[in-house]
Parts: sequence; C-alpha cells; structure tokens
Amino acid sequence: MRLAVIGCGGMGTIHASLAARCGFEVVACGDSRLDKAKALAEQHNAEAADDCLALVKRPDVEVVAVATPTPTHGAYVRAAAEAGKHVFCEKPFTRTPEEGEETLAAVKRSGVKLLVGHVVRYFQEFEAIRERVQNGSIGKVGFVKTYRGGIYPRGEGAWFHDYAQSGGVVFDSSIHDLDWIRYVFGNPTRVYCQALQRSDPLDYGMVTMWFDQGLITHTIGTWAHPGGFRVKVEVCGDQGMVTLDSKEAPISAMMRETAGGGPSMIVPGSPVPVSPYQLEWEDFAAWMRDGRTPRVQPEDAVWAVRIAHGALESARTGAPVAL
Amino acid sequence: MAKIGIMSFAHMHAEAYAASVNRRSDAQLVAVWDDDPKRGADAAKRHNTRFVDDLDAFLDSGLEGVVITSENVKHRELTERAAAAGLWVLSEKPLATTIEDGKAMIEACRSAGVGLGTAFPCRYIPSIQAVRAELEAGKYGDIYAVTCTNNGQFPGGWFGVEALSGGGATMDHTVHVADLLRWMLGKEFVSVYCENGHLMGRDTALDDVGVLHLEMDGGTIVSHIASWNRAKSFPTWGDVTMEFVGEKGVVEVDAFNQKLNVYDDRTMRAQWAYWGGDPDLGLVSDFIESVNERREPAITGEDGFRALEVTVAAYKSAASRQRVAI
Ligand SMILES: NC(=O)c1ccc[n+]([C@@H]2O[C@H](COP(=O)([O-])OP(=O)(O)OC[C@H]3O[C@@H](n4cnc5c(N)ncnc54)[C@H](O)[C@@H]3O)[C@@H](O)[C@H]2O)c1
Repeated sequence: MRLAVIGCGGMGTIHASLAARCGFEVVACGDSRLDKAKALAEQHNAEAADDCLALVKRPDVEVVAVATPTPTHGAYVRAAAEAGKHVFCEKPFTRTPEEGEETLAAVKRSGVKLLVGHVVRYFQEFEAIRERVQNGSIGKVGFVKTYRGGIYPRGEGAWFHDYAQSGGVVFDSSIHDLDWIRYVFGNPTRVYCQALQRSDPLDYGMVTMWFDQGLITHTIGTWAHPGGFRVKVEVCGDQGMVTLDSKEAPISAMMRETAGGGPSMIVPGSPVPVSPYQLEWEDFAAWMRDGRTPRVQPEDAVWAVRIAHGALESARTGAPVAL
Repeated sequence: MAKIGIMSFAHMHAEAYAASVNRRSDAQLVAVWDDDPKRGADAAKRHNTRFVDDLDAFLDSGLEGVVITSENVKHRELTERAAAAGLWVLSEKPLATTIEDGKAMIEACRSAGVGLGTAFPCRYIPSIQAVRAELEAGKYGDIYAVTCTNNGQFPGGWFGVEALSGGGATMDHTVHVADLLRWMLGKEFVSVYCENGHLMGRDTALDDVGVLHLEMDGGTIVSHIASWNRAKSFPTWGDVTMEFVGEKGVVEVDAFNQKLNVYDDRTMRAQWAYWGGDPDLGLVSDFIESVNERREPAITGEDGFRALEVTVAAYKSAASRQRVAI
C-alpha cells in the first residue's frame, strides 16, 4: 500500500523505513520544514512536500503515518480520515481527551483503520510479563510499579520543552506505561499525580492509579537524568512477583574515546529479532489484509490520553481525578 | 555501665537490640520483661540475662534504661511506666499509633526528666550516611523530587491485627523513610495523599500496600511505597530505596544492596545474604551513651512523632481520598 509520512523527525524516519520493510511503499514525505521532508524523501525515492494537509489528500496515497509534535496529530488524522485514508499515528494520540474523542468520531464516520503507536504493547519483555499475569502464575495482582526514562528528549524545534505542547514526561513518556497497565489490568477508576515540569528543562513525574478490582499502580517517569535510559517493572501478586530491569541486558559497552572527546556512557544493548516498532506495522498490515484485530484499538488511544491528561490535571490541582 | 532492660520481645527487632547491648562493654543487659512469660523467658536465656515476670519488680531491678519492643499500641503505656520509674526509653518504631499516644509519651518523658529515643536504625546505614553527607555538601544542588520504597514480606502475627499494630503496611513501612527524608533533606512534610488497601491477599484484614504522595517544605515532591508486597519466595525480606532528583544530578540509594547472591540446593531457593554493616548496633550504641551521659538520644521522641504524623495523615487521606495537611 502507498504510504505518506508526515513529520520527518526522529520517529517519522524510523516509521518510514520499518513500514517499507513491511511492504508499504513510501510515496510522499511531508514536514513543515521542507529540508527535512526532502532528506527523508530522498532515502525512499518519494516526493517531498511542506503542505502536509494537501499531501494527505493526494489520491495516490492510501495510508498516512503521522509523526509530528503531539498537538498537531488530531488535525492530520481527521484530514486523512475524511479523505478516506487509513492512519498510523504516533502516541499520544492527541493533546486532550476532547480532541481525542472528536478525532476518533471522524475516524469512525469514515470507516478507515487507525492504529496509534502504543509501542510498549509490542515490546517482547512486556508481552512476556503480560502472559505471566494472564496465566495466573503470580496469582491476583495487587500492586504494579513501572519506571521509564533518562535524559531529556531533544526533539526538533524544542517542542518537547514546551509543556503546553508535549505535556512533559508524564503525558509524553509515562503514557506508555499507563496504557500498558490498562491493557493488562483494565480501566482505572482514579488517578493522582505529582510532576516537576521545570523549565531548566528537567521533568520527573509520579502517577498513582486505583483500580476497583483492588489494584494500585505507581508509574515513575524521568526526563531528569543526565544520561542513559532505563525501564523497570515490578508486578506483585498474592502468589509471586515478576520484575524487569533494562539495566540487566546481554550487552554493555563503554568506549575509551568518542567523537566528543571523553569516554562514553554505558549503554546496555538488548537486541531483538524484530523491532517492536516493526511489529506495529506488521500488526497494522495484518489488520488491513486479513481483518485481524490489532493489539491497539482506536478507543485505547483515547483512553491513554484521558488517563495521562487526568494525571496532569491532578498534578495541577493536588486532588485525585476520577476517570 | 548503662544498665539496660528490654520490655517485650513481641517485635523481632528485639533480638538485634539485645545482641547489640551485649556487644557493648559500657552496658549490661540486666533483665527482660514480657507480657508473654514464655517468650520473655526464652529470650532472656538466649541473651544471657534474667527474665522478670512482674513489671513493677522489673522496673525496680536497678535499671537505667529500657528498650521497648512490644506491639505498637503498647508503646505508650510501657513508656509511661518506665518514665515514671526514672528510666531512659528507646521505643521501637512507630513511636505510637495515634497523635494522642505520641504526645503523651513525649510529655511523660519530659516531665520525668528522662531521655526518649525512637528506633530509626536506617540513619546508621553507611550508604544512607554517605548520601546524606553529599546532599548536605550540595553535591546534587537543590533536591526537587524523591521517590522511595520500603517494601517487605508480610511479617505475620500481631502486625496484621489492628488492635495491636494500629494499622497495616502503611503503619509499618512509612516511618523509616519519612524520618530519613526529614534527616537527609533537613525539611519537614507539608501534605500527603495516600492510596492504600488490602490488595496482596496477605493473612490480615489490614492494608498490605500503601502509596504516598508527599510534599515537603520548599515544594520538594516525594512518592513513597509502604508495602508488604514481597513474595514469600523473594530472595530477601524487603528493601529501603530512595532516588533523589536534584539540580546538579540524581542519586539512587538502595540501602541493603550490599549482598551476596546465594544459591542453596538444600533450600532450592535463591537468596540475598546481606554483608553490610549492622545499623542496629549504631542505634543501640547511641542509646547506651545517652543513658551513660544522661542526655537525649540522637534520634528523639520528637523525630518519632514527626514520622508518626505522616502516617496518621496518610490514613486520613486514604479514608477521605483527599490530600491532607501535615
Ligand atoms: N513511540 C515512541 O517510542 C516515541 C518516541 C519518541 C516520540 N514519539 C512521539 O512521536 C511524535 C514525534 O516525535 P519525534 O521525537 O519524532 O519529534 P521530532 O521533533 O524529532 O520530529 C517532529 C517532526 O515534525 C515536524 N513538524 C513540526 N510541526 C509540524 C507540523 N505542524 N506539520 C508537519 N510537520 C511538523 C518537525 O519539523 C520535525 O521534523 C510525538 O508525538 C512523540 O510523542 C514516540
């Protein structure tokens, strides 16, 4: 199928090549910065454009991948849906739950397929934890803790630094864990959050959710570490526990000298046969080809926004937010 | 030579405190009292001292100080008795289970002119002391956020009985870290929001998991997990961990992560064997010196009370689902 990629930054570049690997043909690359559109288009022998709304409507485009800054997702997804194109959209789906619902309604009206990139659902280690929980091997789960983050992200044009746009670490990064927890354990009832959102820039957030079946979850997100990236998970049941720490990896290396001069950080490596980002595209392709239900359904994406947005509201008011 | 008695072996920490007293050359373990005579008599034998069945006789046996390691709710009455007899008191944590009891204990010792200490041995863990010194020297700059845990296996017994413990995991596993945060950052708590419940199926009706969101002076945000969420098969009893996020850097302390990984075919269970220093000895040593010097212990009743306030406010928050001022 013919694909247009909108937003040719970090994620757009990854999606273009992984989609290509899954049989999609990248025919157009759009970015509000034409130079970035051109750079990616060149790699795929595609056309470049800076008018992305026009690009979405091109008759030869069948699928649109949206990888622009979060607050711009909704308008592109709606335009694509109205033009009858299937859509892959990076998470967070939208910046507010209201816009999420409005955009979901547009998608449903047009009958196109929408997959939002909650990629943690495709990570093999997270899937292995989910399977253990689901087959009851640790009994009834009463507590879950997740931890994700490291260095402050460096996006194009510093949009990550503008919390009004990115929502900071809680909305942009912890949303991965909040979504995964909901995937495994169902809908939370209320959420409480504390978040730094400093202009240094530096961000760190703690989110607690309550589930009526008798479960508390605690999610820590950091963009406050001087380097590195780490993920930790702990799931506690009445008959056992499962824990995961990305620091425990098969490869760890440290260079004596780097291009920058000094020695490098230790970056643990954990290569997998197929990247989880590619699994997203395989899932999307199978949905379109065979009608197989994908791992992330459109309503899930709105729910994730609702939870993460509720968390930010709680951080602002100091009160729990009912979901 | 400080003459020390131990009041009750209900709390398992009594073992380590008794052993610590016996390791000091400036102290003598004179007697044990316990409202469970068999438990007390056995303990006295183990620690080479005598058991005194009658509380009045015990208080009158030439003691200068007592370590109170009873069930939580009995701390107040035993403290009042000991203070009235003119004895220095080291109370196991939590100092008490209610604000009223905590205040009464402090008042009883103040008016009797005896010292009152709270057993927060975590202040004597070398890694905690090292990070405190770095924080104090400004190595990490201003501290903006801290995330902490005090997880454990379910201790069982009276810990799960409200009439004796005063509360579940939130009661048991909040005060150590609350005290460390006050001591390491030199700040007081302002508010708490708490979610807790009986979620882990432990053999009790009480909360076995608590999650606290705290605020300290100057806006430092803190989360803390107070739990009995560790599986029976977990390789150790639990943990005390803190991650500090500061202006100049981050630092993570995993206070008991000085361990050997032990694989034992006889138990068919992997275990962590702690080889780090003994924090209980530091705590008990200070108490003995405070008795000998007739001074307040380094970690006071007031410190115990401040940590207790956090716990009491946390339960209030959990019941009302609102943030509660401390
Ligand atoms: N799933 C993941 O693991 C993951 C990781 C990082 C980012 N993301 C998400 O992906 C999205 C993009 O993030 P990124 O890291 O690639 O950011 P980025 O800043 O690297 O790239 C964004 C690109 O969009 C372009 N752009 C900006 N505004 C635009 C507009 N209005 N129209 C068209 N193009 C525009 C920019 O020029 C830039 O090239 C965000 O929603 C982010 O939250 C997901």
